[in-house]
Amino acid sequence: MSSPGGQGGALSTRGAAGPRRMKWALELSLGNTRGRGDRQSKDGDVMYPVGYSDKPVPDTSVQETDRNLVEKRCWDIALGPLKQIPMNLFIMYMSGNTISIFPIMMVCMMAWRPIQALMSISATFKLLESSSQQWLQGFVYLIGNLLGSALAVYKCQSMGLLPTHSSDWLAFIEPPQRLEIMGGGMML
Amino acid sequence: MAGLCSVFSVCLCLLGFSAAVFEDQVGKFDWRQQFVGKVQFALFDTHSQASKKLLVATEKNIFASLNSRTGDLFWRHVDKTGPDGHIDTLMMHGQDAVVVVGNGRLLRSWETTVGGLNWETVLDTGSFQSAAYIGVQDVVRYVAVLKKSAISLHYLSNGHQKWVENLPESDTVQYQTVYSGGNGQVFVLGVVPNSHIVIVEYNIEDGEIMKQKSVAAPWLSSLQSSCVMVGSGVLLCADPTTKSLYTFPLQSADQTTMTPILLESLGVEVAAGFQPVLISTQPHPARPPLSEFFLQLGPDYHILLQLKDGLVSTLRDFNPSYLVAFATTGEKTVAAVMSPKNETASVINLYSADTGRRLLDTTIIYSMDPNGGKPAKLYIHAFLKKDDSVGYRVLVQTEDLVLTFLQQPGRVVWSREEALADVVTMEMVDLPLTGTQAELEGEFGKKADGLLPMVLKRLSSQFILLQAWMSHLWKLFYDARKPRSHVKNEVTFETLSRDEFNLQKMMVMVTASGKLFGIDSKSGTVLWKQYLENIQPNSVFKLMVQRTTAHFPHPPQCTLLVKDKDTGLGSLYVFNPIFGKKSHISVPALPRPILQSLLLPLMDQDYSKVLLLIDDQYKVTAFPSTKNVLQQLQEMASSIFFYLVDSSQGRLSGFRLRKDLSTELIWEVVIPTEVQKIVGVKGKRANEHVHSQGRVMGDRSVLYKYLNPNLLAVVTESTDSHQERSFVGIFLIDGVTGRIVHEAVQRKARGPVHFVHSENWVVYVYWNTKSRRNEFSVLELFEGMELYNSTVFSSLDRPRPPQVLQQSYIFPSPISTLEATLTEKGITSRHLLVGLPSGAIMSLPKMFLDPRRPEVASDQSREENLIPYSPEMPIRTEWFINYNQTVSRVRGIYTAPSGLESTCLVVAYGLDIYQTRVYPSKQFDVLKDDYDYVLISSVLLGLFFATMISKRLAEVKLLNRAWR
Repeated sequence: MSSPGGQGGALSTRGAAGPRRMKWALELSLGNTRGRGDRQSKDGDVMYPVGYSDKPVPDTSVQETDRNLVEKRCWDIALGPLKQIPMNLFIMYMSGNTISIFPIMMVCMMAWRPIQALMSISATFKLLESSSQQWLQGFVYLIGNLLGSALAVYKCQSMGLLPTHSSDWLAFIEPPQRLEIMGGGMML
Repeated sequence: MAGLCSVFSVCLCLLGFSAAVFEDQVGKFDWRQQFVGKVQFALFDTHSQASKKLLVATEKNIFASLNSRTGDLFWRHVDKTGPDGHIDTLMMHGQDAVVVVGNGRLLRSWETTVGGLNWETVLDTGSFQSAAYIGVQDVVRYVAVLKKSAISLHYLSNGHQKWVENLPESDTVQYQTVYSGGNGQVFVLGVVPNSHIVIVEYNIEDGEIMKQKSVAAPWLSSLQSSCVMVGSGVLLCADPTTKSLYTFPLQSADQTTMTPILLESLGVEVAAGFQPVLISTQPHPARPPLSEFFLQLGPDYHILLQLKDGLVSTLRDFNPSYLVAFATTGEKTVAAVMSPKNETASVINLYSADTGRRLLDTTIIYSMDPNGGKPAKLYIHAFLKKDDSVGYRVLVQTEDLVLTFLQQPGRVVWSREEALADVVTMEMVDLPLTGTQAELEGEFGKKADGLLPMVLKRLSSQFILLQAWMSHLWKLFYDARKPRSHVKNEVTFETLSRDEFNLQKMMVMVTASGKLFGIDSKSGTVLWKQYLENIQPNSVFKLMVQRTTAHFPHPPQCTLLVKDKDTGLGSLYVFNPIFGKKSHISVPALPRPILQSLLLPLMDQDYSKVLLLIDDQYKVTAFPSTKNVLQQLQEMASSIFFYLVDSSQGRLSGFRLRKDLSTELIWEVVIPTEVQKIVGVKGKRANEHVHSQGRVMGDRSVLYKYLNPNLLAVVTESTDSHQERSFVGIFLIDGVTGRIVHEAVQRKARGPVHFVHSENWVVYVYWNTKSRRNEFSVLELFEGMELYNSTVFSSLDRPRPPQVLQQSYIFPSPISTLEATLTEKGITSRHLLVGLPSGAIMSLPKMFLDPRRPEVASDQSREENLIPYSPEMPIRTEWFINYNQTVSRVRGIYTAPSGLESTCLVVAYGLDIYQTRVYPSKQFDVLKDDYDYVLISSVLLGLFFATMISKRLAEVKLLNRAWR
């Protein structure tokens, strides 16, 4: 779209506007004439002035309000995991401690999301690069995710999925080796 | 509400435990064989020509009818064991058989076609002497029963007593024989030993004594062993000292002495020291006996004699001859004589009884089993052929209790192994691998000898495998074309190999008669048998597997220790359990009486376990005793202990082995015999594995089991049998240190006590004399919430005593035997196998015998799946693993693990043998029989193809989109 001379135009004169009654018309709209439904007009009818671009040129000058916006946006990212915790707590409470497919799925999601976030933490840090409180935000983000995974672990614990009892390791205890050999019986 | 909940949870638990089989599983993996035991009386039904019945009464107190064409049982009546059910005599007339049972306690008449009871009469007390049919004018009307001091006459039609008379002077005279010639008199013969014979004649109608006389016979001690009735009322006796026969006509009015006939005058010689035996026959009970009789003069020497007009003449001389028998068909009586032919065969011939002439074409050749015993008894079934000549079949019983039924010219119609009715002990041995599997084993077993030979060996064994697989495929294809019934699956030594789950094993059975059997556990076929001669009737047997099949190319090896109870001397018989062949290994001589044996887990370089034999001086003999073994024993000596239990002195003693193979006494426990006697002691089974070292509690902590491999359970019974004071005691003793870990006394209880000792529990059953019921009691031992030493177990280092829990339950039936299931790794839950006197075998979940069953169910106990305590133990018919295949007089149950963890092989033996499999935790490692392979595989294939097709379609679509 960088070629400015190609199509469209702000002004067009129609010489052969037979059925029309007006002698001349000013086209003030930008862009494609298709939008107006005028099928007769051909491409190349509209001529742009040299140097015209139909894309607005971004305003690169940094303003104070924008900086605030960036900060705000970065804090949003950093506080995201923490904000999810109440919701997670509610889900945890609702799903109960029974071992069935739905609570297990919930727990898996709850555990997986923070882990995923922690794994892609460098990408998140890149996002936060522009912020002045980058390290604080990163720390908050980390804390939030850790809290989330701690919550998942707590949920696992309350569901009894963690091998924290001696009975969970019972199956791995080898039978003790016997030191004495003994036999005998009633006198034959 | 809580009660309802608990009932519901119990029901839920019960749902999981049905051990019964489905209808289509009947006979799929179980079989039963029925036996009768050693035959005492055998009679052929000669009532009609087409009859196939053979009636037998046996020493096992069994009265049965066999099909003489197939050898199968028509019916069988199992009476009480012991003298109460002993069959004193069996007589047959027409369709009915008369039996006297229990030393003259009962007189019974049986209908022989279906085995129904016609009538039964209780006889007066008195020890039974003899019984006879009494006929009047060719019709048998009565049966006379002679007791020690009385004679009674009963109607044959209904068993009512016609009359009963006391015998004169019965305190001095031993009355032994009753005889009737069919002409209206009843003679009772008695003897005053070494003095005279008493003859009393009774009137049939009213029991009045008609005549009474005594005949001097100072040489005679017993009528039954040396006298018979011959001809028309002539008493014939044999005297070994003067080597002569004596005759006396009963009806003679004037004769008062017996007429002697010297055997030398007949031209025959009696073997030195041999008691001559007379054999006569009475073809019809209402007619006098024949005047021909056999006289046995030596172990292998018989002659056929005839008594005519008071004179004895020789008809024929049979030397040598093993066995003789008379048989009658129609009006003809024949004599069958078995005489030796060569080393391995005998020949049976038929002779006319009245002339002694040999009948033509009547030879039967009886070939003897080289691993069997000599023929002991001969029964003849004679019949008239169409051309009026006499045909016959013979039933031979040998010393090793094989019943063989033969017909001309020596074809074995059937044979039965009746020794199996008395199995003493058994073991199950894994079958060997097939040739190809063994080849592979051999490849890895041998030592490496270079790279190239190894590669070549590998290639060749792979080729052999391929070949075997091809031939297997070909066989499958070949068999598939034949109808199913034609495909034979006979088991022979060639086809004998281990199946993939090791479910088929070799059952090695030792019987009381000294015969060993190798039986295929899948089909019940006897694959080998070996009769050990010179085994005393009350010997003790102990069977040990010294080397299993796992050590190819060394053959498996079993050792049988036989101990003679009288002399105390033991002997070892070493054999290959798969083929039954005696091993050529030299067996140590055992000059001293053997007290006990001990199979060590040590192995010599040939992988055979070491057997220690302890003699009466507490010295130890090792077998095998190679240098390697002796060295190992010296190294291990300080950790080898053994215990001996002397029940007669109530002493338990523990010994430790010294390096020079002598022993030292290290502990002794004496249980005073005046108060109680030791009835049983059991350790744990050597091949038992316990997977879980503890039990998980409701709060998810662990209660560790007290798994002492050296623990012994000793059961005692009080000598005082008064119902208020009798008790049953149980001691748990550590066999290494002699420490009494626990003792419990069950007051007001009486034996017989059956008990099982396994893992960390002991279950025992006793009779509660106060409440008059059978009770189960279970003891469980726990170490506590912490293990003392989790790596090694030493009895010498156990500072803390275990916690013991006990609970008892009421069982609504008496029991005959008790055993626990056993699996490969011990993961599967345990069941108790209870043999009931009714013949059923019940698989009772151990879960019901758990001392932790709470009285009130709590959340924690529910978490643990504990059933709330209820004193009554149920008997559910679906727990009977042998559905209607009852096992009579079950005496023992043997359990063996299979290759599948879920499956336990069970053999119940007693009078019958029953083999089956049990799945205590259901078949968790096997797909079900009705698993839908077709559906599952078609779904999988369908999904696979759908994936392939959709992948292709997706590719095409992507390509098209890229082009657009």
